[in-house]
Amino acid sequence: MIIKLKLLLAIIIPCIILSVLSGCFDAREIDDLAYPMAIGLDKGDDNLLKITLQLAVPVAIAGGGGEEAPGGGGGTSTIVTIEAPAIYSGINMANTFISKQINLSHAKVIVFSEELAKEGIGKYISAIARGREFRPSMFVMVAKGSAEEYIRAVEPALEANPAKYYEMKLRAFDYTGFTTDATFTRFYHNIKSTAAQSYAILASVSKFDSSKDIDNDESTYLEKGRDIPFEGDFKAGSMPKVGDIKSEVMGLAVFDGDKMVGELDGGKTTSHLMVMGGFNYAFITIPDPIKEGFYVLINTSQRRNPEVEVSMVNNSPHISVKVLLEGDILSIQSGINYEDVDKLKVLEDGAEEFFKEEISHYLTKIIEEYGVDICGFGNNMKRNFLTWREWENFNWLNKFKNSTFDVEVDLKIRRPGLMMRTMPVPDSKGDED
Amino acid sequence: MENKIIFGRAEAISVLIIIMTTQLFISFPRLMAESGGNAGWLLTIYVTLLSLFFFMIISKLYKPFEGKDILDIGEYVAGNTGRILVGVIILITYVFIISIVLREFSDGLKILAFEKSPVSFIMIFFLIGMILAAYYGLEPLTRYSAIIVPIIAAAFLFIIIGVVPNFDTNNIIPILGKGPSELFLKGATKISVYSGLSILFLIPPFLGNYNNFKKTGYYSIILSSIFLTGGSLVYSLAIPYPATTEFVLPIYTLARFIDLGRFFKRIESVFLLAWATSAYIYLSIVLFFIVYVYKKAFKLKYHSPLIMPFSILIFTFALLPESMMAALELESNIFRVFAWIVTFCMPLFLLTIASIIKKKKRVKK
Repeated sequence: MIIKLKLLLAIIIPCIILSVLSGCFDAREIDDLAYPMAIGLDKGDDNLLKITLQLAVPVAIAGGGGEEAPGGGGGTSTIVTIEAPAIYSGINMANTFISKQINLSHAKVIVFSEELAKEGIGKYISAIARGREFRPSMFVMVAKGSAEEYIRAVEPALEANPAKYYEMKLRAFDYTGFTTDATFTRFYHNIKSTAAQSYAILASVSKFDSSKDIDNDESTYLEKGRDIPFEGDFKAGSMPKVGDIKSEVMGLAVFDGDKMVGELDGGKTTSHLMVMGGFNYAFITIPDPIKEGFYVLINTSQRRNPEVEVSMVNNSPHISVKVLLEGDILSIQSGINYEDVDKLKVLEDGAEEFFKEEISHYLTKIIEEYGVDICGFGNNMKRNFLTWREWENFNWLNKFKNSTFDVEVDLKIRRPGLMMRTMPVPDSKGDED
Repeated sequence: MENKIIFGRAEAISVLIIIMTTQLFISFPRLMAESGGNAGWLLTIYVTLLSLFFFMIISKLYKPFEGKDILDIGEYVAGNTGRILVGVIILITYVFIISIVLREFSDGLKILAFEKSPVSFIMIFFLIGMILAAYYGLEPLTRYSAIIVPIIAAAFLFIIIGVVPNFDTNNIIPILGKGPSELFLKGATKISVYSGLSILFLIPPFLGNYNNFKKTGYYSIILSSIFLTGGSLVYSLAIPYPATTEFVLPIYTLARFIDLGRFFKRIESVFLLAWATSAYIYLSIVLFFIVYVYKKAFKLKYHSPLIMPFSILIFTFALLPESMMAALELESNIFRVFAWIVTFCMPLFLLTIASIIKKKKRVKK
């Protein structure tokens, strides 16, 4: 028995030592791989795909981004663009001139050019869904103009790590409300859904080089009936700003199936989040309900999930949305004491009316202009069906464009900030502003 | 020798849970979605009720045959021919499914972790474990199962909890999925998901008394159904139909969704551990029962010399499907469609005849 045990140990121990202490013959160390942080897809010549990869430079990241990486993209990343028939063939080609093997498992964002998105991106999306290396939490973007231009314009000013930059920038909708959680999973599920349609984050490169060039020509404030543009009345690329950071994300690209059919500005994206129940908080400007030309700023957040009901009225869908918000006062330009309990109701009513209009603009846009259900109202309608066949035959996505809607907003102002009232500012003339 | 081993109900239930729920880690949620649409979980509940019903009848018929396994019943009905015939049918079924499962797990592991390794190389690692386990026999396997089932259950629960943020109750609406006829008529053949129950009809000699046999059967079906229904429901809640029919490894796909802040990512490695462990135990148990059935069917003295030949056969059969897709299709279109005949019909048939013979004998006496 002891001899048998010794024999067994004599076999097992060398096996363990050999397998544990030696490396695998085909092992790939982290150091041997190149990690793209962003992947851009543009339409190339001759039906080819132009693939842009923003590769992290780990040495520069570790050193705080001091060294300039070759190929542009700031110190901590390098950018390559290649033309190939498909994503994987492009990566294969890139592997021939990049010293390390490309690994996509740290890609944070995939950027489609507007042109490609309008033609349809289904074939690329299914390749990504099939690939093990792509993460489901990766964000999907559509770049107005070229995806390559956008990626080349991404120069993290405050971040040494480009991965962290993308993670933080694309989660900023939590406190801006101007983009949304357009992860690959959500995008993929929506393009496959019979009750909802997809959307992606809208990105672009700033069109202004100097502050003198700034204009509001592409702002959406006029179509909303406003005299001046508010902060949400812009789409990526037209934000009135200049600076070192050229890249912009604001608004949504709206899809019908796998084809992009339209764009939403930042304000409509906020409304989208409110209707979907995904709005966290943001500073929102509303017109002063009493004094024209003045504004009140409210730190607005979603109180509860919205109440959505979808029914058929005269053979057309009717959507009822009730959005429940709350807010804290950040600024009252007019100095009117809305903090006063009697006047608070006036401010609340004014804010409710403002948000109602905003949401109505948004719903009109997606229903009448684009005819795409990016809110997933179909999911509410689905509850009226017992079997999948009945639901499919109902053809919700086709019926959606005939929908009517009504919106209700209930907003409660909770806190006044650090001031209980605004006292007038006296001057030498005796005026009090 | 083996027949002297008596193990507890907990061990037997653990073995059966492993045998019946390992499919959850391969293609089970997808197969349910293919058959029931977004009501795949409802289909799972339905086939659970069906299998409980069939098991109730079988267990009632089993009462006069305490301590006898299905081979003994075959012998009781038709002598040596009956025993050998039953043994061969079980052998064919088990060799078929173990080869396919070995191939699926090895191919799955190749997709998930070892993309550069040849599939035969991965299979060899499973085979080494299976062979060792089969040499050591049933007792260590059952004890190990009893230890590992709670660990796998915890890993599975961890995945479910992590996927909760992706849940959308709208995904399981319309509630009847593909409709009553698809669910309750065509879906009835999906009772084959409980084909692992056939192991229960081989272990009565190890279980001691009839009461143990009955309780083991009920508990294992009910506990397995919790895992299977839970897995199917979670899959349907997290991914909308018809996208649920697209993924090769549904639970792995779910595990990839887990993204808890910037620090808890890539949790699928937990899945990989649970997945490989349950595969190893499943394959080991089935290999053991293959050699056990062969030994008993042909009245051989030892089972150990059979382990290597059967392992080589299984390895060879596992390499026969040209692709993973072919292996998956063999499982879904053949095994999961017809396995219920071996699991439920054969025992029902044999036990009915055996009961009649027993009654006749009693009358004669």
